[in-house]
Amino acid sequence: MAKSNIKKRKASSREEVVHSDSEDDFQTGLLNGAINNEDEESDEENHSSSEDEEADEFPEVAAASDEEEIDSDEVPSSSEEAGEKSGDDDEEEDEKDEEEDAEVDEYGRKTVLDSAGNLRYIYPEVDTGYASDDSDREEMNTIGNIDLSLYDEYPHVGYDINGKKIMRPAKGKALDALLDTIEVPKGWTGMLDKNTGGDLQLTREELEILRKIQMDEVPVDGYDPYTPTIEWFTSKTEIMPLSAAPEPKRRFVPSKHEAKRVMKIVRAIREGRIVPNKPKEPEKPAFYDIWANEVPREDHIMHIPAPKLPPPTHDESYNPPEEYLPTEEEKKEWEENDSEDRAKDYLPRKYNALRLVPGYDKFINERFERCLDLYLAPRVRRNKLNIDPESLLPKLPSPQDLRPFPTTTATIYKGHQGRVRTLNVDPTGVWLATGGDDGTVRVWEILTGREVWKVKLSEDETVNCVKWRPTKESAILAAAVGDDLYFLVPPIFDPETEIESKRLLDHGFGTAANVQQDPTKKTPPGKWSKPMDKLVEQGVPVMVTVKMTIKHIAWHRRGDYVATTSPEGQNRAVAIHMLSKHTSQSPFRKSKGIIQRAEFHPFRPILFVATQRYVRSYDLAKQELIRTLQPGARWISSFDVHSGGDNIIVGSYDKRLLWHDLELSTKPYRTLRYHEKAIRAVKYHQGGLPLFVSASDDGTIQVFHGKVFADMMENPLIVPLKILKGHKVTQALGVLDVDWHPRECWLFSAGADGTARLWN
Amino acid sequence: MDLDNPEQQPQSQVQVKFVTRDPEISVPTAPILVPSNLKRLGLSQVVNHLLNSEKPIPFDFLIDGAYLRTTLDSYIAENGLSSESVITLEYVRAAVPPKFLTSFQHDDWVSSVAASTSTQNRDSVILSGSYDGIARVWNLSGEVLCEGAGHQSAIKSVKWIDGDHFVTSSMDRSLRIWRYTSSSAVDASLKPVAEYIGHRSTVESLAVNAAAKHILSAGADGKVGLWSSVPKESPDAPVVDLPARTKKRKLAQTGPKVVQYGALGMLQSHTEPVSGVAFAPQDSTVAYSVSWDHTIRTWDLTTLALVDTKTTQHPLVSLCSLKTLNILACGSSARHIVLHDPRTSAAGVSAATLRGHSNAVVGLSANPANEWQLASAGHDGTVRVWDVRASSSGNLFTINRESDGVASNEKVFDVEWSSVGIVSGGEDKRVQINATPRE
Repeated sequence: MAKSNIKKRKASSREEVVHSDSEDDFQTGLLNGAINNEDEESDEENHSSSEDEEADEFPEVAAASDEEEIDSDEVPSSSEEAGEKSGDDDEEEDEKDEEEDAEVDEYGRKTVLDSAGNLRYIYPEVDTGYASDDSDREEMNTIGNIDLSLYDEYPHVGYDINGKKIMRPAKGKALDALLDTIEVPKGWTGMLDKNTGGDLQLTREELEILRKIQMDEVPVDGYDPYTPTIEWFTSKTEIMPLSAAPEPKRRFVPSKHEAKRVMKIVRAIREGRIVPNKPKEPEKPAFYDIWANEVPREDHIMHIPAPKLPPPTHDESYNPPEEYLPTEEEKKEWEENDSEDRAKDYLPRKYNALRLVPGYDKFINERFERCLDLYLAPRVRRNKLNIDPESLLPKLPSPQDLRPFPTTTATIYKGHQGRVRTLNVDPTGVWLATGGDDGTVRVWEILTGREVWKVKLSEDETVNCVKWRPTKESAILAAAVGDDLYFLVPPIFDPETEIESKRLLDHGFGTAANVQQDPTKKTPPGKWSKPMDKLVEQGVPVMVTVKMTIKHIAWHRRGDYVATTSPEGQNRAVAIHMLSKHTSQSPFRKSKGIIQRAEFHPFRPILFVATQRYVRSYDLAKQELIRTLQPGARWISSFDVHSGGDNIIVGSYDKRLLWHDLELSTKPYRTLRYHEKAIRAVKYHQGGLPLFVSASDDGTIQVFHGKVFADMMENPLIVPLKILKGHKVTQALGVLDVDWHPRECWLFSAGADGTARLWN
Repeated sequence: MDLDNPEQQPQSQVQVKFVTRDPEISVPTAPILVPSNLKRLGLSQVVNHLLNSEKPIPFDFLIDGAYLRTTLDSYIAENGLSSESVITLEYVRAAVPPKFLTSFQHDDWVSSVAASTSTQNRDSVILSGSYDGIARVWNLSGEVLCEGAGHQSAIKSVKWIDGDHFVTSSMDRSLRIWRYTSSSAVDASLKPVAEYIGHRSTVESLAVNAAAKHILSAGADGKVGLWSSVPKESPDAPVVDLPARTKKRKLAQTGPKVVQYGALGMLQSHTEPVSGVAFAPQDSTVAYSVSWDHTIRTWDLTTLALVDTKTTQHPLVSLCSLKTLNILACGSSARHIVLHDPRTSAAGVSAATLRGHSNAVVGLSANPANEWQLASAGHDGTVRVWDVRASSSGNLFTINRESDGVASNEKVFDVEWSSVGIVSGGEDKRVQINATPRE
């Protein structure tokens, strides 16, 4: 309180000195209050004194600040003047030497005339009054931060402030130096004083300071960090205070100043300069959200969400039901197994309370493996073919609807020794002729499998082909044995047929002689003759000898021509024999490859000839090539012509069965590769049933439904029906020949196992 | 009903109606309640109880064309019937399984068998035709009474005309009538009476109607021959311009010279070999023939005209007519027997199909004692006995070949069910007789 009183007095005294303009006074006080905290109290007094006059007037801010500047200039501080004076000191001193004799005026200054004759004042040296001792300073070397070694050549070591040389301190002799080392003076540091060039010696005080610094003590001597506090202000309420003045009025009168300020603000609000509750402009964010304008997009087509883990089950609970807990054996088994072999990764455990459950030690492992799973097992969206597989299959009728077709063995014809090479059913459909490796031709009763007739045509050669003459009025069987083609008349038919057949065969003997007499002609491919008497008696009236082994026989439908095929025969491979005249001719002048087989068209004068790769059809009337079929097989084994004449099936040794539609293309219409081994024979049913078969070395016969439509636009329908298994594969040969009953759905097959079979 | 256990209440009962086609053993047809767990034996006891017969007759029970082989309960369950409905049970005398009696060894396959009916002064003898071309007459003790050689090729069919005559057909396209005379049980002789010529291929099968003195033959040439069983009434043989036969053939012609006769008529319509012929049981002027061409043809023998043609699905290889039922049983190469009613005008209507053979059915014969039963010979090596009422039950019995040491699946070519029993011959070169004891 005492201090406030002092201030008050001071303030009031200033009021008297300064101008009475209250506005200015207010501003000054305001400014001073802002700068000096000491004058706070006095400012308040100023306010209170001026408030009476202008309660409603609000001061102009800008005008007040201008006036303030003026005010401050009016009262210059003494320190500024002192500064100015001291600034001139140096100039005065420079001239002191020149104007020593100048007289001193009343101000204590000397008046001197300079060289130009102008009056010049020289002021006396100012005594600063500092208690500083400059004696040290004068001796101070002022060479600055220069290495002392540069002065080695000189007797001095630098210059003092007055430019005088500081001489090198005298150095003692070596003995002195030795003595110096022995008697270390107090404060000896062994260091060189850079300024003096002498030994740097520290005083006792300096050492003490160093020690205190080292000890983290206050280096100033005599500083007591633990002085008792002086309680300048106490919390005690004095009974008799120094000042008992009552509370000033201003303490409880509303402040005019504040009212002014408030009014100023209110006016500003009224005028619209201040907009209260002005909506804050949103702060500009320091970082902008790059995803702020993100529009949710559809997942990419290839996006596959990670598969979810299955939810935990009962036995993963901390307190699973008893039945989920493993038994001792299960526990043991689980522990003994490798982790890969375990059915579960965990062993169910029971804890009585959730707080007893220990930390899960495999958590990191598990997360890691999950990440590995997701990362290492790429999820790929497979393009599922949304096609019903059934719809891809061709719409084929069920085999059940295509009955009848042969399914089981009905009869086995046993008797041949060695393979049964060939078989053929007679046109009446009652007798089956077979030929085998034993050189015999046998005729069988179809249903019972009874051998009714046999003839041995050769001792060592196989019967390669037998074919009945395709007319019902005669009963002539052509059999190819080695180089010979025999015409047999089995004596199992009624006498009339037998006589007619023999007459047909013998008829040509007369005419044949005439032809042979022509010497200009080349020798015919076949030589007609009567076989041995023994054979004639057995029912073999005629034979034809061809030079090459005959592999295949084909009758013309009228029964007058027989085409034989001898693959080794080059250009004479195909020979056509005329029964009625006993003549033979080979239709081809040039060989077009190894000829496998020749067949007549069922009703047109066309001859089909199969080489190893191609099937050619020749017009017999015009004697020209009609068409060359390219089945694409490497080695054709057999082929057959459909009874309609427009379709051909070709079997090949490279397991393929090829259906050719002659109207369609020279390429096969269908290629059927169902056999595991070479196909030996293929055959159409010639009696009206839409069936064909292929026989193979794998011992199976495959039966197909092959319907040829009368409508030219409709392609043939081919349906595999049945695989007939029964023939045993002997020496890599299975079924060697097949034939159909002329009308019924009965299939005959010749096997390498020495049997022929009837399938129905 | 109370036969089982009167105290114990049966769990459930069904209403059944017992019917039979045999007046001798008929019982009231009113529905009665029987325990539903009864099987054949229990039901048989019920019927015997109703009949009050002193000696119980074993009965078999037919429901809807099938033999009851399970309990009534399970039959009801299987067929989804209501246990409330009245079940009509047809009961028949139970068939006794045939017993192997004997077999006669031949030199060659036995193609055909026939048994003569026994008369007072003569035991029944068995006639067999073999592939060696010889017809043999056997007594039941297995002795050849006499042999008839004369056919130049295998005999395909033999049939008794009466006790003294029989007819054979052969692959040599001819038929022969033989006279069989037996003075005592072991002494007998055979004499060919006539040779019938007219077929151009094997004569596969024969049928004889002794009353009308007619013989029918089925030829592989597609013709049905009608012959008289009395040679004197036959026309002369057709003159064939036969060439001079070779010496060997002449030698082959053994036996006494036989007069040749021709046919009363050759019925030609079949397009393939005819495999079976039969007379209509009631009308001797009507004949039936079956052929490989799938057809059953009906012939009028007075006019020698084709009356009707029925086409079936499969080649037919045997025929037999069931006399009282007037049903034709046709064996097919497709392993089953089709029952046809020849009277129905609709073509190809089959009454029922008997399935069970695993190969062609080439021989059929009706049971002379039971109009419902027939025996069939199949190329699968079995003879099977069927009941036409129970067409869906399969065969009643299967008779296998009893030839020892021979593969059992050798074909059976012919069967005849006579008073002796079921006589069959086959590829095993044996005639086998299976006795069928009368019920």
